[in-house]
Formats: sequence, structure tokens, C-alpha cells
Amino acid sequence: MFDIATKLSINEKLTILSDAAKYDVACTSSGVDRRGQKGMLGNSCPAGVCHAFAADGRCISLLKILMTNHCAYDCKYCKSRKSNDIPRATFTPDEICQLTIEFYKRNYIEGLFLSSGILQNPNYTMEKMVETLRLLRTKYHFNGYIHVKAIPGASDELLYSAGLLADRISINMELPTQASLTTLAPNKNMNNIIKPMNQISGTIAAHRMAIGKSARMERAGINKHLIHSIWGNTTERIEAQNDSGNLLIPAERKDAQLQRSFAAAGQSTQMIIGASNETDFELIRTTQNLYQAFDLKRVFYSGYIPINEDRDLPAIGTPVPMLREHRLYQADWLMRYYGFYAEELLSDQNPFFDNQLDPKCFWALTHLENFPVEINSAPAETLLRVPGIGPNGVKKILSARRYGTVNFEMLKKMHIVLKRAQYFITCGGKMIYQMPIEERFIRNQLTDLERTKVMEIEGQNVTYKQMNLFQDFAVR
Amino acid sequence: MTYYTCEHTLEAMLSCIYDAWCSKKGHQNIELLLEPIDQYTLFDEYIHVDADMRKVEKVIDAVCRKISPTFYRELVYTYMAYEKHTLDNIYRCMILGFAYGANALKMMQYRDVMTHDQIRIRLGKEINRFQEFMRFHLLEGNVYVAHFEPKSRIVMALGPIFEDRMPSEHWMIIDDIHKEAVIHPKDEPFYHRTLTDQEFHRLLETDNYNDEYTAMWQNFFETIAIEERKNERCQLNHFPIWTRKHVVEFTS
Repeated sequence: MFDIATKLSINEKLTILSDAAKYDVACTSSGVDRRGQKGMLGNSCPAGVCHAFAADGRCISLLKILMTNHCAYDCKYCKSRKSNDIPRATFTPDEICQLTIEFYKRNYIEGLFLSSGILQNPNYTMEKMVETLRLLRTKYHFNGYIHVKAIPGASDELLYSAGLLADRISINMELPTQASLTTLAPNKNMNNIIKPMNQISGTIAAHRMAIGKSARMERAGINKHLIHSIWGNTTERIEAQNDSGNLLIPAERKDAQLQRSFAAAGQSTQMIIGASNETDFELIRTTQNLYQAFDLKRVFYSGYIPINEDRDLPAIGTPVPMLREHRLYQADWLMRYYGFYAEELLSDQNPFFDNQLDPKCFWALTHLENFPVEINSAPAETLLRVPGIGPNGVKKILSARRYGTVNFEMLKKMHIVLKRAQYFITCGGKMIYQMPIEERFIRNQLTDLERTKVMEIEGQNVTYKQMNLFQDFAVR
Repeated sequence: MTYYTCEHTLEAMLSCIYDAWCSKKGHQNIELLLEPIDQYTLFDEYIHVDADMRKVEKVIDAVCRKISPTFYRELVYTYMAYEKHTLDNIYRCMILGFAYGANALKMMQYRDVMTHDQIRIRLGKEINRFQEFMRFHLLEGNVYVAHFEPKSRIVMALGPIFEDRMPSEHWMIIDDIHKEAVIHPKDEPFYHRTLTDQEFHRLLETDNYNDEYTAMWQNFFETIAIEERKNERCQLNHFPIWTRKHVVEFTS
């Protein structure tokens, strides 16, 4: 392997380094509300903006690149691992800045997502990344969104600088247990990941309190209606709480231009699904712990795509566990927006999600004693647990209820998914049709609704489809 | 039935509402329509109303003072929507506003309020889509120009969004369907302009001004997708074909 970076054009580097970065899932630009300023370029919108959708249907919001795909580590699941013979390249800080600025001005992107392979050692890599961000914020006056990956093992000062310059900082957990890390990522260890996560969350909290906000991040508005949600209880911090403290204060803090809050959009992490033997229950319980202990803004799941041949990994050609990933995200949403706990969704006896039914329907079917729910009088917390009614639906129902009664026709217009909700609700004491509230009957009905969706996600051939003038008959 | 018709501008629409209200023919006997009208009915009366600033001021004043300024802002937000019934809907909601006060737009029990809400949500999504999918081309002299083809007249709603995003750049957004533009000189407030045919044809050429960054973006767009997860249907859902007309990653 030799370094060919010097001969590559910026376009070739972009090809290599965006190709290497595509397995990182996070591409959100949400969480910070920052107005534009004269003389600067960019702003940040709290809901985030997706600027394109790639052929795999995932949104492109940020310029997602690695700084380099040279890597000193040899994690088995990774494409850029040391032992792979692939083209390697390294961006200079100026090249990254120019790309970001020019793309941003053309409205292609909302900001930068910068990750990197380990160049020499964690500190050297992190220093280069911080240098890039500093250049972007000071010389290029970029005021848009930046998401930076923290390199586990980098020094506190560098992490602090990165957090001040970026809006979101994240450390990839990749695998939720030390055992899987030892097998698949021999150069990493859990303590090296948990410790900086803990420090970052402490520093974010300190910064928030210093400007008069609450220590914990803001959560989706619907959570204020929930008495029992995972955000409610402040639990003890997990694992590495042994006086790791907050991050040390670096030189940036005194720079007047950089009077920014530390990682205003919080921190996130990512876990790989399907490369090791964890159960769904372990994954969502870890997720819940991360939310409660480190106040993470998001946990992302990445269905493992077999790219490397290894006896510890699924064989090349194994289908990507898309449905499993989908179910995990559904559970993640249920925890963050609907007031569910991991322990309610799965248990040690039943550690995997049902393939045929989504987690919320599954929960409702096993708790039929709570139904039917009366739309005109039930509290928000109960409404949220009805399959087919989401946070937006609940807000609309609550708002409409203040001025009169709600009936099924109105629910339809409010885009409540009645085909799922009808088995669980009454309006004015009546169900929409006369139906038994019986597990087997409802399960059959709901499974039938979900069937084609499940087939699509699993990539099985759905042989029928709606005819399309443009595709089937080439009408232009 | 009497139909009051007007052009699709906020001033004309408010004047039309004023005339309809003052006609005293009874709310159930009149309907407000946006021009052009596809087919006139045989036995009804059609009255065209032109924009009149005096009437516009009276309507705004009445709604703001007797109901509330917030109600006015929420009510007329839908004026840009392409739906033909949007004018009549604004009129009906205004009647409810005078009857029930500022909370009228929350009373989803009324069909008109529900319709207003549906138009509002659809319009919001359209604005949001073009905020995302607008693509600028760099011209000489550091001017960025973007073309787009919306269903509704949303170019004015996009002005403040991009002014906040790029306050210190020269840029211009052109609506190719309604032939209007917002223009933003560097470090100054943006302004709205209806384009003449000559201006419009001259500006049409700017859609082809591509440079190396366009090519790099197309390249990036290709490589960032994961082959094993290919999902055309998902892409179509998020990025419908009608919004792709001037989007550089699809046009070449």
C-alpha cells in the first residue's frame, strides 16, 4: 500500500472519501436554531433540511466525507481497515473548506459531516480535524451546521475544541458489548468509547447551565404531555463514571470569535446491526441507557453490509438486515416520542421483534385490557399508545377537543391511520364498525395490512404493482 | 348564485373579499373564484373585482382590530396556494373568525377550517421542498441564480429563508411558471419582481451555467448511495419527479 494522495485531483479524492464515509448513518442537520449573520455564510434550522435523496432513499443533508481513509486500526467490519487493499486519499483542510463553502452556496448541502480514519494516532487525526473546522469557522466564515466524529482516544483539549467548533459531536459505539468489540474491533475498547461520551455529556450540560438552560437537552414537544417517559427519571450514569469529569478547557475558549456553545445539537452515536450476536432487547436497552445516562440526542442503527470476508462476520452476499433495522428504529421512536420503555416492548423471554407486526401494534395486542380508548376523553399519554395515532395526531385531537366533540370523519381528515386505529378506539362510546376486541382477529387484520410493506423492506419480489404511464408505457 | 372573481394576487383577493362582503347578498348566495375560470355557468352572475388598495386596507384593518393580527397572518398565509378554492376558503374562515374570535382557526369541527388546515400543510410542504431542492448556478461576478417550477406562488416565501441563509451573497431565485423572481443584492434586503418576457428568456440561459462543483456534486450524489440498499421507491417518495426539473443531479 502506498500513498497516492498527492497525485489525486479533488474530485477523485471526493469519490474515494465519500465512498468510504457512506456507511456512517447520521446525516441529520437538526437541533440548532441559529440565524444567519451579515458577513457570514449560513444558518441552522432546528428541524434540519434534507437537500437531496440518494438512490438508496437516504437523505443527503450534509457533505459526508472522511478526512482520510488511511487507518491504523483493523476493525473487521470496516471497509477502510488497515488490511484492506483499497485506494487511499487524504483531504487537506483547505480542500474540505472549499468544497463545503461552494456546495453550500449552491444549496446542495446544509453543512459538513467530518469523520476520519486513524491517521498515525488518534491525537494527530483529531488535531487535523479540529484544524479544518477552525479554518472553516474563522477564515471561511462558515456559520452552517457541522457534525464531527470524535476519535476515541484523542486528548480532552482536542475534543473540547471540536465540540466548540461543531454543532454536533458523536462517537460511534459500533458494538454494544465489550465481547463483540474484542472480536470485531481489536484496537478499540469500551472504556475508551464510554469515557469521552461521558465527558462530552457533562460538558454539554455545564455549557447549557452556564447560559441559563436546563442541564438536559430539549426533547420533542409531545414529551411534555407524558408523565412517564424515559426522559423523566434522571438515572445514574453507567459504566465509566469513575471521576472522568468534564473536558479540559483549551485555548479556543478565549478566542472572541469562537464564543460558541459546546455542541449545541448534542451528541449521538451509531451501532451496527447484524454483525455480532446481540439481541434486539440488548440493543434497545443499551439505547435507553445511553439516552438516560448520557442524554444523547440520537442513537443510529446501521444494518451491516457485508463488505469484508472474515470468519467472524456474515458471509459476503448476506442480505442487509433492513427489516430488523426498521423495527429497531420504530422502537427508538416509541421510546423518544411515545413514552415507551425498552422493557415494555421486549423482554428476556421474548428478545426479538415480531417480523409481521410493528412494535406498537405488538404491544397493543398484548395489552388489550387497556382498549378501546375513548378519543373524546382519553389523556394524551393513552392516546399516544393507540396504534395509528402519533404525536401530530394527538396534538390535533387535543386541539379539536377543546371546541367540540371529535368523530371518525374528523379523525380521517386529521390523517389518523384508521385502518390500524379502528380496532382500538371509540368516538362517543361507539366503535367505527361492530368488531370483536379479540387478539386473534385483530392480529390477522393487522398482519395483513403490514404484509406487503414487510415484503418490500425485505426485498422479496412483490409481483404486482400499480401501472404507471411514465414507466410502463413510456409516455413523456 | 353570484360569483366574485379576481386575479391571483393578495391585493386583488382582499378587494374581492371586501366587495363580496359588502354586497349583502347573504354568504350562502355568493362564492369567490380565482381567475382564470375554466367554464362559466349559464344562469349565474359573474362580477370581476380589481385590486384596490383602499379596500385592501379596510379588510386588513378590520381583521386585525376585530379578530387579531395573528389570525390575519395565519388566514392569508394560504393565498399563494394553487388550489382554486383557496380564495373562497379564506372568505369562509374569515366569517367564522368574526363569529368566534381568534381561536376560530383551531375549530377543526368546521369543514372550512379543516380545508384551510389542509391547504396550509400542503403549502408548507411545498415551500419546504423547494427550500431543499433549489439549486443555484454560479454566474460571472459571483451571482448565484436558481430556477424552479412550483405549483403555488411561493417565491416570496422563499425570499426570507434564503436571505437568512446567504445574507452576504448576490442571488436570485426565478419562478419559471409564474415568471416572477426574488432578487437579493449582497448585504441588502431582497425584493420581488415580476419578470418581463424579454428578461425571462435572457435569464432562462442561466440554467446551463455549470462548473466543476456541479460535476463534483453529481459525482458525490452517485457515490454516497449504497448499492446494496438501493430503493427507488423510497427515493421517489421523498424526491418526486415534478420537483426534479432544475435539480442538477438529475438533469444531465
